[in-house]
Amino acid sequence: MTKLAQWLWGLALLGSTWAALTTGALGLELPSSCREVLWPLPAYLLVSAGCYALGTVGYRVATFHDCEDAARELQSQIREARADLARRGMRF
Amino acid sequence: MATGTDQVVGLGLVAVSLIIFTYYTAWVILLPFIDSQHVIHKYFLPRAYAVAIPLAAGLMLLLFVGLFITYVMLKNQKATKKVQ
Repeated sequence: MTKLAQWLWGLALLGSTWAALTTGALGLELPSSCREVLWPLPAYLLVSAGCYALGTVGYRVATFHDCEDAARELQSQIREARADLARRGMRF
Repeated sequence: MATGTDQVVGLGLVAVSLIIFTYYTAWVILLPFIDSQHVIHKYFLPRAYAVAIPLAAGLMLLLFVGLFITYVMLKNQKATKKVQ
């Protein structure tokens, strides 16, 4: 089974469980506070997944290993190359 | 470690995501178990908004992404037409 099929299968399973529980199709008498938590659950999972993604991106941006010397060296090499090529007649 | 604005932006994103996560978790998961007379309920909107606001935000995001793609495609089309 492909990864997509696996994900869709898992989502279908969880989705049908949630739908069965929220609509009361299984005939279970859940306490009202549990029902209150249950019905926004898909939205909650989506929002937390989004928050996790945002936080991970932010964290990795903040802890990225910059190499300032290498960056400066590279910029000066680029300027050198541009000047050299411009001298040889290439137009940017 | 990243420097300057990179660090600020990165840590800002982490802080924002933590704030949103904590508030939303309290709203969806914790509030139903707290007595409805408690003062904390004053700080949270009615529960229907807990689904309506993320849904609206998601639709706005899709709209924005679609508009951006349309804009870029039109710009490319015009550029190729000019070359022709």
